[in-house]
Amino acid sequence: MAAVLEPYIYEGGIHKHTLITELLEDLGGYLIQKIPAATEVTLIMLIPKKDVHLIEELGKKLLGKLTPAPLTGTEIAVVSPTLAVHHLPHSACDVAEHLRRDGANTNMIGLARGMGRRVALSADYERRLINEHDIALFSFGTFADCIKNKKPKLFEGIEIPIVVTGGPDLRTEDIPNADVYIGNIGRVAHRLRKSEELSSLDIMNKKVAEVVGIMREDISKDPLAVLPPRVMKEIYEQIPEIEQVLTPAPMTLQLDGLRVKLPYDEFREKVENLEFDEGTRLMELARVLPSRMKNYILIKIKRESEVGFAL
Amino acid sequence: MDALETFVVESAVPQEAEAYRSIVADVISELVLGGAIGRIKIVLRPEDSLFQMAILLRGSQPPVRLGDFADLGYGVMERKEVKISLREEKYLPLLLEKLWARYGRGQVLQPERKTIIVRQDEDPGEEIEYLKSMLIADPKQSLQSRLIEMAIRSTPEGFRVRYHSMKENSFIFVASEDTLKPEWIQEAHNMLAELKEAR
Repeated sequence: MAAVLEPYIYEGGIHKHTLITELLEDLGGYLIQKIPAATEVTLIMLIPKKDVHLIEELGKKLLGKLTPAPLTGTEIAVVSPTLAVHHLPHSACDVAEHLRRDGANTNMIGLARGMGRRVALSADYERRLINEHDIALFSFGTFADCIKNKKPKLFEGIEIPIVVTGGPDLRTEDIPNADVYIGNIGRVAHRLRKSEELSSLDIMNKKVAEVVGIMREDISKDPLAVLPPRVMKEIYEQIPEIEQVLTPAPMTLQLDGLRVKLPYDEFREKVENLEFDEGTRLMELARVLPSRMKNYILIKIKRESEVGFAL
Repeated sequence: MDALETFVVESAVPQEAEAYRSIVADVISELVLGGAIGRIKIVLRPEDSLFQMAILLRGSQPPVRLGDFADLGYGVMERKEVKISLREEKYLPLLLEKLWARYGRGQVLQPERKTIIVRQDEDPGEEIEYLKSMLIADPKQSLQSRLIEMAIRSTPEGFRVRYHSMKENSFIFVASEDTLKPEWIQEAHNMLAELKEAR
């Protein structure tokens, strides 16, 4: 098994930032995402635990900042009842942005008919799309009665952990089928930037990180046959077409797989035949499936018990 | 009546009413309705899927005509031109749209920021008279559409069955997910009467 990897975010100037990525490669870490913005750059990476101080020292020299990012490598669905002005951009987009600050990749999903009390419902397609993620975060409104009694029907058919945000202060046990409830993030029509609003967003990140921690622990009992970032690296090296993908994250890591933003029909075979140094191919280690998001590829990695070995 | 001298949101749970008040306040400021609304009362009953709102408006501004913000005169006489000198630029986009619709884009010239020349074939004198009284903007009309926008934005989204009544300076809005009961609408009318009586 490879060295233990720790997720971090580096924020600093674009000048000489390649020194960091080179050092990371030498140490055997993985660069998950690089986000350049004018003269600044944000690097989301996995660093071998015992070598974190090396990156930190180099980062300090370059006047950058290295912070732990516990949500790195997760893909979270931020589900809003609809895409109408009532729910977006605040607070659902603020929630998504705050999760991204801790390294998560988020997808906003607006249900077609999720609004209202009696009339709220979700479609089969929507449920399947949400189930492709690691965690589903439902962003609800102001009224305790709705959150407790009416909205939980949107959770039907969701098999992944469910996080709920809303206005009133409720206990998680009050909401059927929810794994975590976070209050004080209800419906608002302004950007969340007051200190109490931001602190509830911080609490949300902490609670979501706890859920992720439990999920990681679960996986470590029967580890994955290959680490998702390793697959990501091999795809970058063996499928050059990925460089032409224009989305901000051409590949999105999940806890037990990854989403590759290449057309399924065209690239399925190439992805399945991805070769590893150890002499195995990806098809032995993972299932390559069509994603419900556009015509992307979804890779779900098999467990060690199923494959018989792990890289 | 002062702007927003009464602004009440009522619900069974006081914290929820307070949270909803902040939503409505944000919507009002987003649509720049703060100055137009005198008194407003909202009652929410989530357990009945009911939203009721009564608004008392302050006096609205009169319609704006071209003569109110511009001087009209003759341009070059032999070309039958009308010259419009603007005192205020605020209404320029609306004015240009109206002029283009009447004379065509090629006939409306703007040699500098606050001057517009209109070329046309009629007698400029008559045309000036017409233009002076041309309606450019109707604040009341835009106020109504903003009020409706505000009502829709502040109602919970699922409440698609709506009743509204707009009179001279009052506005009533009732929305629910289910069929509206007559007594709910009556309650909203009573709310308006209360607002009118206050002070």
